[in-house]
Amino acid sequence: MGNDINILVVDDEEDMCWALENILKMEDYNVVTTTSGNEALKIIKEKAFNIAFVDIKLPDFDGMELARLIKQEDSRISIIMISGYYYKDDSDIQKGLHDGIYLTFVGKPFDNVEIRKVARRALELSKR
Amino acid sequence: MSRFGKTKNDNISMSKLEQELGTSELRYKYLCNMILTSIHSSILIINKGLNVIYANKNFLDKSKQAEDETISKKIDQVFPPVILSYTLLPQRIKEVFESGRSYGGQQMTYRAPGLPSRVYYYSLVPLKDSLDRVDSVMLLMDDITEQVRLGEEVRRAERHLASVVESASDIVVSMKPDGAISTWNSAAERISGFAIRDALGKYLSDFCQEDQKNKMESTIKALNSGRKVSQVELNMISKGKNKILLFWIFSHMVDDEGKIMGIVGIGRDLTERRELEAQLIQSAKLASVGVLAGGIAHELRNPLCISSSAAQILLESPYDKKLQKECSEKIYSGIKRASHIIENLLRFARPSGGCLDPIKINDVINETITLIAEQIKLQRIKIEKRLSGNLPYIEGNGNLLKQVFLNMILNAANSMENGGTLTIITELFNNKLVGITFSDTGCGIPEENLDKIFDPFFTTMPVGKGTGLGLSISYSIIKQHNGAIYVKSTVGKGSEFIIQLPAIK
Repeated sequence: MGNDINILVVDDEEDMCWALENILKMEDYNVVTTTSGNEALKIIKEKAFNIAFVDIKLPDFDGMELARLIKQEDSRISIIMISGYYYKDDSDIQKGLHDGIYLTFVGKPFDNVEIRKVARRALELSKR
Repeated sequence: MSRFGKTKNDNISMSKLEQELGTSELRYKYLCNMILTSIHSSILIINKGLNVIYANKNFLDKSKQAEDETISKKIDQVFPPVILSYTLLPQRIKEVFESGRSYGGQQMTYRAPGLPSRVYYYSLVPLKDSLDRVDSVMLLMDDITEQVRLGEEVRRAERHLASVVESASDIVVSMKPDGAISTWNSAAERISGFAIRDALGKYLSDFCQEDQKNKMESTIKALNSGRKVSQVELNMISKGKNKILLFWIFSHMVDDEGKIMGIVGIGRDLTERRELEAQLIQSAKLASVGVLAGGIAHELRNPLCISSSAAQILLESPYDKKLQKECSEKIYSGIKRASHIIENLLRFARPSGGCLDPIKINDVINETITLIAEQIKLQRIKIEKRLSGNLPYIEGNGNLLKQVFLNMILNAANSMENGGTLTIITELFNNKLVGITFSDTGCGIPEENLDKIFDPFFTTMPVGKGTGLGLSISYSIIKQHNGAIYVKSTVGKGSEFIIQLPAIK
């Protein structure tokens, strides 16, 4: 199923990018990673992505705001927020979910299976 | 002694006078009478039969007796029986007649009818004729009522002062100019465990901590050579070999001419205060651990997440040797990073001991920054370090200083809500002070608050956010290091906190 699916990973930790890339590559997705919010905005202008994994706390950007900008740029991208700082039931997270800016939230640390599951589900939803 | 001397002189002049009187020279009689009348002592002359043969005006006035009630009367008719039995006057007079020697130095309380009682110092002086036989005995009475009253007053004041000194909760010790201990109050006994007999004649330095004996000696010496007051923190070693932290105030006692008579030292036991201070510092530290916790959690979850994902990839890829190696490395470095973060936090949270060691200030700053790096990054604050490469060591407690620096950084971060730059500079002033400057680009402190920011519980943060203790505790920690802390601030531009600590020579 893989090769035509593009996924963007935005996390300020390089090792975190490495982990997500390897988790997703097992499903044969094309994975592009960046540690910067500004860089991410540039990348999505050049290439179409199906899914973006966005870390909420970035040094140069508020992840929530980045998600909104990505959505503005390309509304077809399914965004999945990841964070070690927030919990799923935090009101900030719930608000973004409610507004439909992102599809779901995954807290760190996560199971690799869970990442692949939310990616698959995002693709299914976007197909409908 | 002078009283005796005077009595003897009187004795001589009296016997002379008698000789002159014997030659019936009226001029001398007149002179003699004049002296006896105007003298401020009461005088009675008594013959062998214990009859009063002469009483001067002073006696008659004081006793409110007429001359004819006194002269030629027996001594026991002149004095009330109570006085006679108390002083054994008739017997004493007889003894003087027999021995020919003066009897003196006794007190007698005499109360004339209708007058308040008065206290006399009396002596009995033999009056001898030309053949050196005792002809009569003179009773000389000096009114010392006023002296006795003053003496009692002095004693009362002394007792009062002594009880003040005794009941003081501080050590009060007085010393001779050379420093030898001459008084030692009960607080000194209680705090040091040494009884007064152990302390008298010794020197305060004998009771000091080994490495502080010299400082105590030089303090006392400086006072003795004219310095008026000195305040110093010096520790004592108690009889039970415990260290007692004492804050001393010394001053010297001078006589009317300004000569130094002795030295007084008041020592306040700081143990309890230090314990409370340490508790306060510890609770403030735990409060800042709470502030750090949010950042720490996030900081821990990243390496945990990386390690956990890498471990799962390892399980999922049994054949890819290169990926396996990569995973192992990520797991290892993730765990190392996580344990480093925990280590750092625990080392910081641990109560600090009181001891000061030679430390490198740049190391303390770097460790503090590690502790808070994640938190700062999240607040989009850039830390710019300009640390001088060749700083001398300072004497300090790294953990306590870390607390101060952390506080400085957290305050700066709080003042830069929308991000900014915190510049940390270390430098050497005049070869003797190490300066650490924290300057931020935050909101600044309004001028009216500048003199309050070091007060305990002063905070502009909403209830529940700040304790208002951070700066006051930083202040007391820097004080403990014999350092100083200054602030400059411009609203809208930022604040600058400058800490100065003495360098080790």
